Amino acid sequence: MNAPAATLMPIFATPFAEIALPVGSAWNESLAALLTARATEEHRDSGVRPDPLCYLSREDLFEWPDEPIAALRSKLLAGLRPAVLAATLHTEAEFDQLGVQARARFAIIRPDGCLPAQTLALASWCAIYCVAAPPAPAGRADSGALRLYENRLGGMFADATTWRMRPPFAGGHHLWRPLPASMAAFPAHMAHEIGLNRSDRDLVLVIARVRFANPGQQAAPPW
Amino acid sequence: MVNPPLKVSPGFAVPFAEGRLVPCERLNRELEALFLARETEEYRNPTPSHIPQAEMFESRFNLFRWPESCVQELRAFMLDSVARTVLETSTLVPAELARLKIHNHTWYHITRYAGSFVAHNHPLASWSAVYCVRPGEAPADRPGSGLLRFLDTRAGAGSYLDAGNRALRAPFATGAREVRLEAGQIIVFPSYVIHEVSPFYGRDTRITVATNCWFGG
Repeated sequence: MNAPAATLMPIFATPFAEIALPVGSAWNESLAALLTARATEEHRDSGVRPDPLCYLSREDLFEWPDEPIAALRSKLLAGLRPAVLAATLHTEAEFDQLGVQARARFAIIRPDGCLPAQTLALASWCAIYCVAAPPAPAGRADSGALRLYENRLGGMFADATTWRMRPPFAGGHHLWRPLPASMAAFPAHMAHEIGLNRSDRDLVLVIARVRFANPGQQAAPPW
Repeated sequence: MVNPPLKVSPGFAVPFAEGRLVPCERLNRELEALFLARETEEYRNPTPSHIPQAEMFESRFNLFRWPESCVQELRAFMLDSVARTVLETSTLVPAELARLKIHNHTWYHITRYAGSFVAHNHPLASWSAVYCVRPGEAPADRPGSGLLRFLDTRAGAGSYLDAGNRALRAPFATGAREVRLEAGQIIVFPSYVIHEVSPFYGRDTRITVATNCWFGG
Protein backbone atom coordinates (compact mmCIF):
# COMPACT_ATOMS: atom_id res chain seq x y z
CA MET A 1 0.00 0.00 0.00
CA ASN A 2 1.36 3.41 -0.93
CA ALA A 3 1.71 5.89 1.87
CA PRO A 4 -0.58 8.87 1.35
CA ALA A 5 1.16 12.07 0.36
CA ALA A 6 1.70 14.59 3.08
CA THR A 7 2.62 18.20 2.71
CA LEU A 8 4.58 19.49 5.66
CA MET A 9 5.11 23.17 6.23
CA PRO A 10 5.93 25.50 9.10
CA ILE A 11 3.07 27.64 10.30
CA PHE A 12 3.24 30.49 12.81
CA ALA A 13 6.78 31.21 11.71
CA THR A 14 8.91 33.89 13.37
CA PRO A 15 11.01 36.09 11.11
CA PHE A 16 14.66 36.30 12.06
CA ALA A 17 17.11 38.11 9.82
CA GLU A 18 20.88 38.10 9.84
CA ILE A 19 22.32 41.05 7.97
CA ALA A 20 25.91 41.90 7.15
CA LEU A 21 26.24 45.67 7.08
CA PRO A 22 28.63 47.03 4.47
CA VAL A 23 31.13 48.63 6.81
CA GLY A 24 34.83 48.21 7.06
CA SER A 25 36.66 47.06 10.13
CA ALA A 26 38.29 50.45 10.60
CA TRP A 27 34.91 52.18 10.67
CA ASN A 28 33.61 49.68 13.18
CA GLU A 29 36.68 50.01 15.37
CA SER A 30 36.31 53.77 15.32
CA LEU A 31 32.66 53.41 16.34
CA ALA A 32 33.67 51.06 19.14
CA ALA A 33 36.19 53.61 20.37
CA LEU A 34 33.56 56.35 20.37
CA LEU A 35 31.04 54.26 22.29
CA THR A 36 33.61 53.02 24.76
CA ALA A 37 34.70 56.59 25.46
CA ARG A 38 31.10 57.59 26.12
CA ALA A 39 30.37 54.71 28.47
CA THR A 40 30.17 57.11 31.37
CA GLU A 41 27.73 57.96 34.11
CA GLU A 42 26.50 60.83 31.98
CA HIS A 43 25.24 58.48 29.29
CA ARG A 44 24.23 55.53 31.47
CA ASP A 45 20.57 54.55 31.61
CA SER A 46 19.71 55.26 35.23
CA GLY A 47 16.43 53.44 34.88
CA VAL A 48 17.95 49.99 34.77
CA ARG A 49 19.56 48.08 37.60
CA PRO A 50 23.24 49.07 37.72
CA ASP A 51 25.57 46.29 36.72
CA PRO A 52 29.34 46.83 36.70
CA LEU A 53 29.67 44.10 34.08
CA CYS A 54 27.06 45.41 31.66
CA TYR A 55 26.96 49.05 30.69
CA LEU A 56 23.68 50.19 29.15
CA SER A 57 23.41 53.68 27.71
CA ARG A 58 20.26 55.74 27.58
CA GLU A 59 18.11 55.09 24.55
CA ASP A 60 19.07 58.34 22.87
CA LEU A 61 21.99 57.14 20.81
CA PHE A 62 20.39 58.10 17.49
CA GLU A 63 19.96 61.64 18.77
CA TRP A 64 23.68 62.18 19.15
CA PRO A 65 25.02 64.76 16.68
CA ASP A 66 28.17 62.78 15.90
CA GLU A 67 28.57 61.88 12.24
CA PRO A 68 29.45 58.22 12.89
CA ILE A 69 26.19 57.80 14.81
CA ALA A 70 24.16 59.34 12.01
CA ALA A 71 25.91 56.99 9.61
CA LEU A 72 25.21 54.05 11.89
CA ARG A 73 21.52 54.90 12.00
CA SER A 74 21.40 55.14 8.25
CA LYS A 75 23.23 51.84 7.73
CA LEU A 76 21.21 50.04 10.37
CA LEU A 77 17.87 51.10 8.90
CA ALA A 78 19.07 50.37 5.38
CA GLY A 79 20.08 46.91 6.50
CA LEU A 80 16.77 46.34 8.20
CA ARG A 81 14.78 47.40 5.16
CA PRO A 82 15.12 44.26 3.01
CA ALA A 83 14.46 42.02 5.99
CA VAL A 84 11.23 43.76 6.95
CA LEU A 85 10.22 44.10 3.33
CA ALA A 86 10.67 40.39 2.78
CA ALA A 87 8.54 39.58 5.80
CA THR A 88 5.60 41.81 4.85
CA LEU A 89 3.12 42.08 2.01
CA HIS A 90 4.23 45.59 1.13
CA THR A 91 5.63 46.30 -2.28
CA GLU A 92 8.88 48.22 -2.39
CA ALA A 93 7.00 51.34 -3.42
CA GLU A 94 4.55 50.95 -0.57
CA PHE A 95 7.30 50.22 1.89
CA ASP A 96 9.20 53.33 0.92
CA GLN A 97 6.15 55.41 1.80
CA LEU A 98 6.26 54.21 5.40
CA GLY A 99 7.62 56.47 8.05
CA VAL A 100 10.28 54.91 10.22
CA GLN A 101 10.96 55.65 13.86
CA ALA A 102 13.90 54.23 15.75
CA ARG A 103 15.50 54.54 19.14
CA ALA A 104 18.74 52.92 20.11
CA ARG A 105 21.15 52.41 22.96
CA PHE A 106 24.52 50.79 23.18
CA ALA A 107 25.61 48.02 25.49
CA ILE A 108 29.10 47.08 26.58
CA ILE A 109 29.14 43.62 28.05
CA ARG A 110 32.30 43.05 30.00
CA PRO A 111 33.92 39.68 30.68
CA ASP A 112 31.56 37.67 32.93
CA GLY A 113 28.75 40.12 32.18
CA CYS A 114 25.47 39.48 30.43
CA LEU A 115 22.28 41.24 29.40
CA PRO A 116 19.30 39.68 31.15
CA ALA A 117 16.18 38.64 29.28
CA GLN A 118 14.04 41.43 27.95
CA THR A 119 11.30 42.21 25.49
CA LEU A 120 10.99 45.59 23.86
CA ALA A 121 7.72 47.46 24.09
CA LEU A 122 6.14 49.86 21.62
CA ALA A 123 8.14 48.69 18.65
CA SER A 124 7.67 46.06 15.98
CA TRP A 125 11.32 45.20 15.34
CA CYS A 126 14.43 44.82 17.39
CA ALA A 127 17.74 45.21 15.62
CA ILE A 128 20.98 44.29 17.33
CA TYR A 129 24.14 45.45 15.62
CA CYS A 130 27.51 44.12 16.65
CA VAL A 131 30.25 46.72 16.92
CA ALA A 132 32.89 44.56 18.53
CA ALA A 133 32.87 40.94 19.60
CA PRO A 134 35.56 38.68 20.95
CA PRO A 135 35.55 35.10 19.73
CA ALA A 136 33.89 32.55 21.97
CA PRO A 137 36.33 30.52 24.04
CA ALA A 138 36.49 26.85 23.18
CA GLY A 139 33.55 24.91 24.55
CA ARG A 140 31.58 28.09 25.23
CA ALA A 141 29.16 28.16 22.34
CA ASP A 142 26.80 30.58 24.02
CA SER A 143 29.42 33.04 25.25
CA GLY A 144 28.13 36.50 24.44
CA ALA A 145 25.54 35.06 22.09
CA LEU A 146 22.09 36.47 21.46
CA ARG A 147 19.62 33.91 22.74
CA LEU A 148 16.04 34.23 21.52
CA TYR A 149 13.71 32.39 23.83
CA GLU A 150 11.41 29.70 22.53
CA ASN A 151 7.95 31.21 22.33
CA ARG A 152 5.91 28.17 21.32
CA LEU A 153 4.83 27.28 24.81
CA GLY A 154 2.51 24.42 23.98
CA GLY A 155 5.23 21.85 24.46
CA MET A 156 4.55 20.80 28.02
CA PHE A 157 3.45 17.44 26.70
CA ALA A 158 6.28 15.72 24.88
CA ASP A 159 6.64 12.20 23.56
CA ALA A 160 9.16 10.19 21.58
CA THR A 161 8.36 12.13 18.38
CA THR A 162 8.03 15.70 19.58
CA TRP A 163 11.17 15.30 21.65
CA ARG A 164 13.20 14.95 18.46
CA MET A 165 11.66 17.32 15.95
CA ARG A 166 13.82 18.60 13.13
CA PRO A 167 14.34 22.25 12.18
CA PRO A 168 12.30 24.41 11.88
CA PHE A 169 9.91 22.43 14.03
CA ALA A 170 12.25 21.58 16.90
CA GLY A 171 11.64 23.43 20.13
CA GLY A 172 14.30 25.31 22.02
CA HIS A 173 15.99 28.66 22.08
CA HIS A 174 17.70 30.18 19.04
CA LEU A 175 21.33 31.25 19.33
CA TRP A 176 22.98 33.85 17.17
CA ARG A 177 26.61 34.74 17.52
CA PRO A 178 27.35 38.44 17.04
CA LEU A 179 30.28 39.15 14.74
CA PRO A 180 31.59 42.63 14.06
CA ALA A 181 29.49 44.38 11.38
CA SER A 182 26.70 41.80 11.57
CA MET A 183 23.17 42.55 12.67
CA ALA A 184 20.20 40.47 13.81
CA ALA A 185 16.60 41.59 13.42
CA PHE A 186 13.52 39.98 14.91
CA PRO A 187 10.11 40.91 16.34
CA ALA A 188 10.56 43.20 19.32
CA HIS A 189 8.10 41.24 21.45
CA MET A 190 10.38 38.22 21.52
CA ALA A 191 12.16 37.60 24.80
CA HIS A 192 15.89 37.64 24.29
CA GLU A 193 19.12 37.93 26.24
CA ILE A 194 22.83 38.22 25.69
CA GLY A 195 24.50 35.25 27.29
CA LEU A 196 27.39 35.54 29.69
CA ASN A 197 30.52 36.85 27.99
CA ARG A 198 33.06 34.14 28.82
CA SER A 199 35.88 35.81 26.92
CA ASP A 200 38.42 38.28 28.24
CA ARG A 201 37.33 41.21 26.09
CA ASP A 202 34.28 43.47 25.82
CA LEU A 203 31.30 42.80 23.60
CA VAL A 204 29.90 46.05 22.16
CA LEU A 205 26.38 46.08 20.74
CA VAL A 206 23.86 48.64 19.53
CA ILE A 207 20.27 47.69 20.30
CA ALA A 208 17.50 49.47 18.42
CA ARG A 209 13.74 49.54 18.66
CA VAL A 210 12.21 50.24 15.28
CA ARG A 211 8.65 50.81 14.11
CA PHE A 212 6.98 51.96 10.95
CA ALA A 213 3.99 54.22 10.32
CA ASN A 214 1.51 54.25 7.49
CA PRO A 215 1.50 57.31 5.21
CA GLY A 216 -0.57 60.01 6.82
CA GLN A 217 -0.61 58.32 10.18
CA GLN A 218 -0.75 61.23 12.56
CA ALA A 219 0.28 59.72 15.82
CA ALA A 220 2.25 56.88 17.23
CA PRO A 221 2.23 56.01 20.90
CA PRO A 222 4.96 57.82 22.76
CA TRP A 223 8.05 55.77 23.37
CA MET B 1 -23.92 60.02 40.50
CA VAL B 2 -22.87 57.15 42.70
CA ASN B 3 -20.32 54.89 41.10
CA PRO B 4 -21.64 51.35 40.85
CA PRO B 5 -19.47 48.69 42.48
CA LEU B 6 -16.63 47.40 40.36
CA LYS B 7 -14.85 44.21 41.27
CA VAL B 8 -11.33 43.68 39.98
CA SER B 9 -9.75 40.24 40.23
CA PRO B 10 -6.85 38.41 38.60
CA GLY B 11 -8.01 36.51 35.55
CA PHE B 12 -5.26 34.09 34.67
CA ALA B 13 -3.47 33.57 37.92
CA VAL B 14 -0.30 31.50 38.29
CA PRO B 15 0.07 29.85 41.70
CA PHE B 16 3.37 30.30 43.50
CA ALA B 17 3.85 28.81 46.96
CA GLU B 18 6.63 29.89 49.28
CA GLY B 19 7.60 28.08 52.46
CA ARG B 20 10.41 27.79 55.00
CA LEU B 21 11.99 24.87 56.73
CA VAL B 22 12.58 25.95 60.33
CA PRO B 23 15.10 25.19 61.65
CA CYS B 24 17.13 24.34 58.57
CA GLU B 25 20.73 24.87 59.66
CA ARG B 26 21.61 21.28 60.64
CA LEU B 27 19.93 19.74 57.62
CA ASN B 28 21.51 22.21 55.23
CA ARG B 29 24.96 21.59 56.71
CA GLU B 30 24.56 17.86 56.17
CA LEU B 31 23.21 18.30 52.66
CA GLU B 32 25.98 20.69 51.69
CA ALA B 33 28.69 18.33 52.93
CA LEU B 34 27.11 15.39 51.11
CA PHE B 35 26.59 17.29 47.86
CA LEU B 36 30.12 18.67 47.79
CA ALA B 37 31.54 15.24 48.47
CA ARG B 38 29.59 13.85 45.53
CA GLU B 39 30.43 16.61 43.08
CA THR B 40 32.05 13.99 40.89
CA GLU B 41 31.62 12.46 37.46
CA GLU B 42 29.86 9.49 39.00
CA TYR B 43 27.05 11.68 40.24
CA ARG B 44 26.97 14.26 37.44
CA ASN B 45 23.93 14.30 35.13
CA PRO B 46 25.24 12.41 32.08
CA THR B 47 22.62 13.84 29.70
CA PRO B 48 22.25 17.54 30.40
CA SER B 49 19.49 19.23 28.46
CA HIS B 50 21.35 22.52 28.14
CA ILE B 51 24.87 23.64 27.37
CA PRO B 52 26.87 22.52 30.43
CA GLN B 53 28.96 25.04 32.33
CA ALA B 54 32.14 24.40 34.23
CA GLU B 55 30.85 26.80 36.88
CA MET B 56 27.77 24.73 37.65
CA PHE B 57 27.49 21.11 38.70
CA GLU B 58 24.22 19.33 38.01
CA SER B 59 23.63 15.97 39.64
CA ARG B 60 21.71 13.02 38.25
CA PHE B 61 17.94 13.26 38.64
CA ASN B 62 17.64 10.45 41.20
CA LEU B 63 18.52 12.41 44.31
CA PHE B 64 15.46 11.40 46.31
CA ARG B 65 16.43 7.74 45.89
CA TRP B 66 19.55 8.30 47.92
CA PRO B 67 19.16 6.58 51.30
CA GLU B 68 20.99 9.16 53.39
CA SER B 69 18.80 10.49 56.18
CA CYS B 70 19.39 14.13 55.31
CA VAL B 71 18.19 13.52 51.76
CA GLN B 72 15.12 11.65 52.96
CA GLU B 73 14.36 14.43 55.42
CA LEU B 74 14.52 16.95 52.61
CA ARG B 75 12.42 14.68 50.40
CA ALA B 76 9.65 14.63 53.01
CA PHE B 77 9.70 18.42 53.33
CA MET B 78 9.78 19.17 49.62
CA LEU B 79 7.15 16.66 48.51
CA ASP B 80 4.91 17.66 51.40
CA SER B 81 5.23 21.28 50.27
CA VAL B 82 4.25 20.29 46.74
CA ALA B 83 1.29 18.22 48.00
CA ARG B 84 0.06 21.08 50.16
CA THR B 85 0.30 23.40 47.18
CA VAL B 86 -1.80 20.99 45.14
CA LEU B 87 -4.44 20.91 47.86
CA GLU B 88 -4.45 24.71 48.13
CA THR B 89 -4.84 25.26 44.41
CA SER B 90 -6.99 22.36 43.18
CA THR B 91 -10.32 20.78 44.00
CA LEU B 92 -8.63 17.59 45.19
CA VAL B 93 -9.38 16.67 48.80
CA PRO B 94 -6.73 15.10 51.04
CA ALA B 95 -8.21 11.62 50.71
CA GLU B 96 -8.00 11.81 46.92
CA LEU B 97 -4.47 13.15 46.99
CA ALA B 98 -3.41 10.41 49.40
CA ARG B 99 -4.34 7.79 46.81
CA LEU B 100 -1.97 9.33 44.28
CA LYS B 101 1.69 8.58 43.98
CA ILE B 102 3.96 11.58 43.61
CA HIS B 103 6.59 10.72 41.04
CA ASN B 104 9.60 12.97 40.88
CA HIS B 105 12.87 13.82 39.23
CA THR B 106 15.08 15.57 41.72
CA TRP B 107 18.61 16.89 41.48
CA TYR B 108 20.95 19.45 42.97
CA HIS B 109 22.97 22.30 41.56
CA ILE B 110 26.24 23.66 42.90
CA THR B 111 26.93 27.00 41.30
CA ARG B 112 30.17 28.94 41.51
CA TYR B 113 31.30 32.36 40.26
CA ALA B 114 29.72 33.24 36.89
CA GLY B 115 27.58 30.13 36.80
CA SER B 116 23.98 30.42 35.63
CA PHE B 117 21.16 28.37 34.18
CA VAL B 118 19.38 29.22 30.98
CA ALA B 119 15.61 29.81 30.80
CA HIS B 120 13.62 26.60 30.63
CA ASN B 121 10.51 24.82 31.83
CA HIS B 122 9.77 21.19 32.58
CA PRO B 123 7.58 19.21 30.15
CA LEU B 124 5.76 16.15 31.45
CA ALA B 125 5.55 17.45 34.97
CA SER B 126 2.81 19.39 36.71
CA TRP B 127 4.61 20.96 39.67
CA SER B 128 8.19 22.00 40.25
CA ALA B 129 9.94 23.22 43.37
CA VAL B 130 13.29 24.71 44.29
CA TYR B 131 14.79 24.47 47.79
CA CYS B 132 17.73 26.55 48.90
CA VAL B 133 20.50 24.77 50.78
CA ARG B 134 22.91 27.69 50.56
CA PRO B 135 22.19 31.01 48.85
CA GLY B 136 25.83 31.95 48.51
CA GLU B 137 27.36 35.37 48.82
CA ALA B 138 25.27 38.30 47.60
CA PRO B 139 27.80 40.95 46.55
CA ALA B 140 26.44 44.41 47.29
CA ASP B 141 27.43 45.72 43.87
CA ARG B 142 25.76 42.81 42.02
CA PRO B 143 22.09 43.01 42.95
CA GLY B 144 21.19 40.73 40.08
CA SER B 145 23.46 37.91 41.20
CA GLY B 146 22.07 34.41 41.54
CA LEU B 147 18.40 35.31 41.22
CA LEU B 148 15.76 32.72 40.49
CA ARG B 149 13.82 34.52 37.78
CA PHE B 150 10.38 33.49 36.58
CA LEU B 151 9.35 34.89 33.23
CA ASP B 152 5.89 36.35 32.77
CA THR B 153 3.53 33.77 31.30
CA ARG B 154 1.44 36.46 29.61
CA ALA B 155 3.55 36.66 26.49
CA GLY B 156 3.08 39.91 24.63
CA ALA B 157 1.16 41.57 27.45
CA GLY B 158 3.90 44.16 27.84
CA SER B 159 4.34 44.93 24.17
CA TYR B 160 2.02 47.91 24.20
CA LEU B 161 2.51 50.23 27.11
CA ASP B 162 1.02 53.63 27.76
CA ALA B 163 0.10 55.69 30.77
CA GLY B 164 -2.86 53.46 31.43
CA ASN B 165 -0.98 50.20 31.88
CA ARG B 166 2.64 51.13 32.49
CA ALA B 167 2.23 51.30 36.27
CA LEU B 168 -0.01 48.34 36.98
CA ARG B 169 0.11 47.13 40.56
CA ALA B 170 0.65 43.55 41.73
CA PRO B 171 -0.59 41.03 40.73
CA PHE B 172 -1.44 42.70 37.44
CA ALA B 173 1.95 44.22 36.61
CA THR B 174 3.76 42.56 33.74
CA GLY B 175 7.37 41.47 33.76
CA ALA B 176 9.57 38.86 35.33
CA ARG B 177 9.32 37.87 38.98
CA GLU B 178 12.65 37.54 40.76
CA VAL B 179 13.40 35.66 43.95
CA ARG B 180 16.61 35.86 45.96
CA LEU B 181 16.47 32.53 47.71
CA GLU B 182 17.36 32.22 51.37
CA ALA B 183 18.56 29.12 53.20
CA GLY B 184 15.63 26.83 54.00
CA GLN B 185 13.28 28.55 51.56
CA ILE B 186 11.21 26.57 49.08
CA ILE B 187 9.31 27.89 46.06
CA VAL B 188 6.67 25.67 44.44
CA PHE B 189 5.35 26.63 41.02
CA PRO B 190 3.68 25.12 37.94
CA SER B 191 6.20 23.31 35.77
CA TYR B 192 5.12 25.23 32.68
CA VAL B 193 6.52 28.52 33.99
CA ILE B 194 9.74 29.45 32.23
CA HIS B 195 12.46 30.18 34.77
CA GLU B 196 16.18 30.75 34.90
CA VAL B 197 19.01 31.46 37.31
CA SER B 198 20.90 34.66 36.66
CA PRO B 199 24.70 34.57 36.81
CA PHE B 200 25.97 34.05 40.34
CA TYR B 201 28.79 36.39 41.33
CA GLY B 202 29.47 35.21 44.86
CA ARG B 203 32.95 33.97 45.70
CA ASP B 204 31.57 30.87 47.38
CA THR B 205 28.89 28.38 46.33
CA ARG B 206 25.17 28.56 45.72
CA ILE B 207 23.48 25.21 46.34
CA THR B 208 19.88 24.38 45.47
CA VAL B 209 17.74 21.29 45.07
CA ALA B 210 15.08 21.15 42.36
CA THR B 211 12.28 18.67 41.86
CA ASN B 212 9.75 18.04 39.12
CA CYS B 213 6.65 16.15 40.18
CA TRP B 214 3.92 14.31 38.35
CA PHE B 215 1.01 12.50 39.94
CA GLY B 216 -0.42 9.09 39.14
CA GLY B 217 -1.39 5.71 40.47
